[in-house]
Amino acid sequence: MARIYEDLSRIIKRSKATLYLLILILFLLLLFYWKIQVLDHEKYWKMAEANRLRELTILAPRGLILDRQRVVLADNSPGFKVSLIREGIKDYQSVIDRISSLLEIDKEELKNRIERYRFLPAFEPVVIKDNLRLDEVALIEARKEEFPELRLEVEPKRFYPFDQAAAHLLGYLQEVSVDEIKANPERRWHGGEMVGKAGLEKQYNDYLTGQDGKLVEMVDSLGYSRGEVNRIEPQKGKDLILAIDFDLQKRAEELLQDKEGAIVALDPRSGECLVWASSPAFDPNRFITRFSPGEWLSIINDPGKPLENRVIRGLYSPGSIFKIVMALTALDTGVITENTTFYCSGTVEIYGKEFSCWFKPGHGSLNLPEAIKNSCNVYFYNLGKRININTIASHARLLGLGQKTGVDMPGEKEGLVPSSDWKRKVLGQAWFPGETISVAIGQGPLLVTPLQIAAMTACVANRGISIIPKLVKTKEGEVERKKVDLAPDIFEKVIEGMWRSVNDGGTGHGAYQPGFDICGKTGSTQIVSRETAERLAQKGGEVKKAHSWFTGFAPRTNPQIVVTVLIEYGGMGGQTAAPIAGEIFKMYREKYVRQKNISGN
Amino acid sequence: MLDRRIFREIDWPTILLMVVIYLIGLVFVHSAIYYQASHYIWRQIAWLVVSLLALLISLLIDYKVLLSFSLPLYIFMNIILLGLLFFGRLVANTRSWIVLGPFQVQPSELTKIVVVLLLARILSEYKEDLMSFRAFVVSSTVVGIPVMLTALQPDLGTALTYLPVLLSAYILAGMRKKYLVIILVVSCLVGFLGWNYGLKDYQKKRIETLLNPGHDPRGSGYQLRQSKIAIGSGGLTGKGYHKGTQSQLRFLPARHTDFIMAVIGEELGFLGIFIVFGIYFLFLYRLFSTVSVSPDRAGVYIAFLSAMLIGCQFLINVMMIVGLFPITGIPVPLLSYGGSSLLANFLVCGLVINVRMRRFAFI
Repeated sequence: MARIYEDLSRIIKRSKATLYLLILILFLLLLFYWKIQVLDHEKYWKMAEANRLRELTILAPRGLILDRQRVVLADNSPGFKVSLIREGIKDYQSVIDRISSLLEIDKEELKNRIERYRFLPAFEPVVIKDNLRLDEVALIEARKEEFPELRLEVEPKRFYPFDQAAAHLLGYLQEVSVDEIKANPERRWHGGEMVGKAGLEKQYNDYLTGQDGKLVEMVDSLGYSRGEVNRIEPQKGKDLILAIDFDLQKRAEELLQDKEGAIVALDPRSGECLVWASSPAFDPNRFITRFSPGEWLSIINDPGKPLENRVIRGLYSPGSIFKIVMALTALDTGVITENTTFYCSGTVEIYGKEFSCWFKPGHGSLNLPEAIKNSCNVYFYNLGKRININTIASHARLLGLGQKTGVDMPGEKEGLVPSSDWKRKVLGQAWFPGETISVAIGQGPLLVTPLQIAAMTACVANRGISIIPKLVKTKEGEVERKKVDLAPDIFEKVIEGMWRSVNDGGTGHGAYQPGFDICGKTGSTQIVSRETAERLAQKGGEVKKAHSWFTGFAPRTNPQIVVTVLIEYGGMGGQTAAPIAGEIFKMYREKYVRQKNISGN
Repeated sequence: MLDRRIFREIDWPTILLMVVIYLIGLVFVHSAIYYQASHYIWRQIAWLVVSLLALLISLLIDYKVLLSFSLPLYIFMNIILLGLLFFGRLVANTRSWIVLGPFQVQPSELTKIVVVLLLARILSEYKEDLMSFRAFVVSSTVVGIPVMLTALQPDLGTALTYLPVLLSAYILAGMRKKYLVIILVVSCLVGFLGWNYGLKDYQKKRIETLLNPGHDPRGSGYQLRQSKIAIGSGGLTGKGYHKGTQSQLRFLPARHTDFIMAVIGEELGFLGIFIVFGIYFLFLYRLFSTVSVSPDRAGVYIAFLSAMLIGCQFLINVMMIVGLFPITGIPVPLLSYGGSSLLANFLVCGLVINVRMRRFAFI
């Protein structure tokens, strides 16, 4: 045998040693597998589940916003959008290139969009284009095999059927900001979600927002769905029913056409707002479809400030409207009675300085109601001479000026009621009595919003019961009324003057409506002082007209409606604002008062 | 020349173990790619028939005869490898395939058998127990040429499977310390040149991934990550046949070839892995046992080199899929899908059986 001649024992020994080494390695490897498969099993199991399952949000429709007659002011319509799921992407650059050419999106913009939501989990879809046209939907649908990372979704989209109507009231939606997401991390956000950013959409965002549904589906490595695992249906948000009367609202907006200003009407009994108009306005639908940067800049830079809600954010001098406050203060403090008279010669000299009435020939001798009716400045200069600024300020505050009304709308401004304390704090100077004379006719540092004036007028109409303006329809039991610490009979005396102003040939005559007992007060705020204006006019310079005010209520007994109108650069209150208010009163009467009479008969 | 007694000596246990491993592989290839399984399954069954026939035919020829033809066969195979570089068709970015009608053959797989034969012949001629310098240089060159040609295709995975053969040759022939130094120097040199000029970026990334697996899970670490998730999520008893989410939802790459063990690990769990390890252990043990009964020095070399070739591929693969070795595209012998790999491995085992059945000299 061959073996006899050869000694193979050494190499056979080497072979055996090698085999034992292999077996050792095999055994150690088995231990390693034991570690991965048995000891670390849970960790890998979770990773496998995360691979396999994808959780998607089904957006809930927002609740509708309706007026008091259930006219839908903010609706939902189906919108198509396409989202990107970053989970399955390996090569971002090529995906971005392909998608940008498919959807005609700028590459940089797309990249920034994806980058913006980087902190969200990778399976969370990021909206890359919404409001798709139908041909875009068809294109994506046709090529979905090539673009597994894209997800086409139909979702309810906010839709405002009347475009610009009640824009400031409704507000608008915008994409949730990164800060908002980070401020509220418990809620599950998804990229591109729309939230209320202004108006009622903001104020009642939580109420209107529904409960999003959830879809858990099984996916393969390319991100294709392999079937639904679990589904929770979304729940629509709650509907918001407003106190607004859309017929009156439309009328008010018509009247504000091509003007800058605000109209607010409310029910003094409950504080429910019937009209809330601010002009110029914007189309809230444009916030849903997204502005181009150019459009956005033009809105932001528009000198008319269309986004500004003038009803609560416009700060104006009250002008002669403030004479209501002065009259109430004077009666309350006993400086005058109803029958105290002052003589108006057209001018009056106080503290060595001449102050003039708006009516150059002078009103002659008049009592309080006549002074309110004619809006006589000299009468109120005399009151200003006799009352301390701080007494005026405390009464103005009592009537709701210089503080937020508490209306259910975000962004309300406080306005300003000056006092000696205020001047010392802000300007570091003592209050001069001469300044009180200006305040007495509503000039000086006084600043009010149209809604404050409406709320104040409601308090007067209620003979000293103040209410909080409300946009949402409230139940009778929920109305908050507060008795103001002023005797009811002093209101009667001021109301007599306001009645005469409209019905007896006073400055508010423009608001007169036959058969409807309207009480009101006009105001015009000088943007430059009368003296400067006259000087400018003599030199041939252009004089900006004054802002025009009217505020009033009707009927005189058991008032049902308060209307406040402000027209910027409208000139004298009696000329511009009063007739506009008259139109609102007229329509209100036709719709509510006469109807009641007919049904009552 | 043919003796019926020789057939009585055919090592049926080895062939049985081979077929069992093959069948386990077939069952899990079916699970790994069930949506197009029948196509793959029939092809793999056809390859089994071809491989079994080739094995039986190869057994008819005495391994000593095969040894005497080893040099011309070696030269022939290298010419084919060289020709592939110039005329080969690009399949999956490499020029490693010859397409023969419905079958594709990978010559670099078959070349391994010839290399085993030639090494056995050359080294058995040196009767000393310590390797001479000549033997060292010659054996290194014999392995080096096909390794280079295969690496250039570029098919680094297959090229790497040659190295255990060379290493085994060194071990058996008797390594000297000075050769170890030379090997170290040469491998450092090759490593340096390869890293800077030879390796493709994706190959470098795979090596980097091994060193730092958490890095870039979406890129080169993806395969390893998915493989580890598959194996780890299998647990002790697995998710069940056809129920592995990692494989069924195609998170696992190359499920039917390089990562077939990950499919088994996911669907049968640690128990499945244990069984496959156990069967492989028996199989390797049987192959190695031939070494001790070999009639001559060449027979020892043939049996040892062949067993090492199979064993090291298995080890590298099961290390690779859990991140203990760079991912290089080495299939599990007999278990993974792949025709020419199956054929080549059957023929390699055939050499061992050949030696065993002729352990008694019938002259």
